[in-house]
Amino acid sequence: MITRPKSIAFPTAPVLETARLRLRMPRYEDFAHRLTFYASDRSVWEGGPYDRDTAWRIFASEVGQWPLMGFGPFSVDDRVTGTYLGEVGIYQPVQFPEPELGWFVTDQAEGCGIASEGARAVMAWARASFGWDHIDNYIDPGNMRSIALGLRLGGVRVDAPGADPGDVVIRHDLRGLA
Amino acid sequence: MIASWLQSPTGPAARIADAFAAAVPQIATARLVLRAPRLADYPAYEAVFTSDRARFMGGPFTVDAAFADFCQGCAGWLLRGAGMWTICLRGSDVALGWVYLWQEWEDPEPEIGWVLTTAAEGRGYAAEAAQAVLPHAVALYGAGGFVSYIDADNDRSARLAERLGARRDPAAEAARGEAGLLIFRHSGPKVPT
Repeated sequence: MITRPKSIAFPTAPVLETARLRLRMPRYEDFAHRLTFYASDRSVWEGGPYDRDTAWRIFASEVGQWPLMGFGPFSVDDRVTGTYLGEVGIYQPVQFPEPELGWFVTDQAEGCGIASEGARAVMAWARASFGWDHIDNYIDPGNMRSIALGLRLGGVRVDAPGADPGDVVIRHDLRGLA
Repeated sequence: MIASWLQSPTGPAARIADAFAAAVPQIATARLVLRAPRLADYPAYEAVFTSDRARFMGGPFTVDAAFADFCQGCAGWLLRGAGMWTICLRGSDVALGWVYLWQEWEDPEPEIGWVLTTAAEGRGYAAEAAQAVLPHAVALYGAGGFVSYIDADNDRSARLAERLGARRDPAAEAARGEAGLLIFRHSGPKVPT
């Protein structure tokens, strides 16, 4: 009986470390958390809830941006316990005018500043790696929590195209980083 | 499609993307090279998957869905250890089609599949590419451990699956219970006679 390899030797996303977090390449097992999120009402601002087939397609297609674009989602773990806490990444599916900064945290990890700590690390990485002078969030106008987080991170609302008409676009100036 | 969106990555982003792509095994056949998909292949993919040619694969797709599908084929390499190759003629970088080892969330077993652009059809390229990928599939999944899911109206692909040595698996079709979906089981590379 031969068994399937769990993975093959492949380059992965860089590992970013912060005070509490480790950001790393997503793995197959991480999907279970996205599935839970997309099945819940918490995903309403992302166009959800979604069934598992759609949730898988979204998750996999975002991971697939790494080999095509050189950026993508990072899975966020507690750097001490290894517990999966969420995802922060840079995304550019077909209708996005620019690479976008986005985040998601598990139910349990909400309210602990995980997304903002991860987002700061990803912005610094993007600045150091690509030299971008800004990065935007595209946020549904009803998603007050994410809008508040974007502003708390120092972003400002700008009149620029988002993913969907009516999106709140919050721009982060990266020039002071790294 | 937004023209600027389609720009291939440059500088450090290109180096990261290239490092991923370089880890995809490149396969050469008599006429073809199978290589890692690149963003520059996407317009050809979109043309196929937003057209009537995708009718046997759950399409035609919207542009959003076509792109998600394309990315998903690339993500397979990272999440499942196998994914999609772009088919090119030797000495050319133009995408003629794609051959893939793939497993949708709802699929119980991995699949080998293929699709060509309109311009590339009728020359045996899909057969040549799929034949070259079979040994990889056997190495990953074992002989008999992978299938092709083919729409009952897709005579061309069904004939190709048979030419590759695959045979219908009535038990798997019954277990799946999806009307109009044929499941061909691959026992491995066909021994040349």
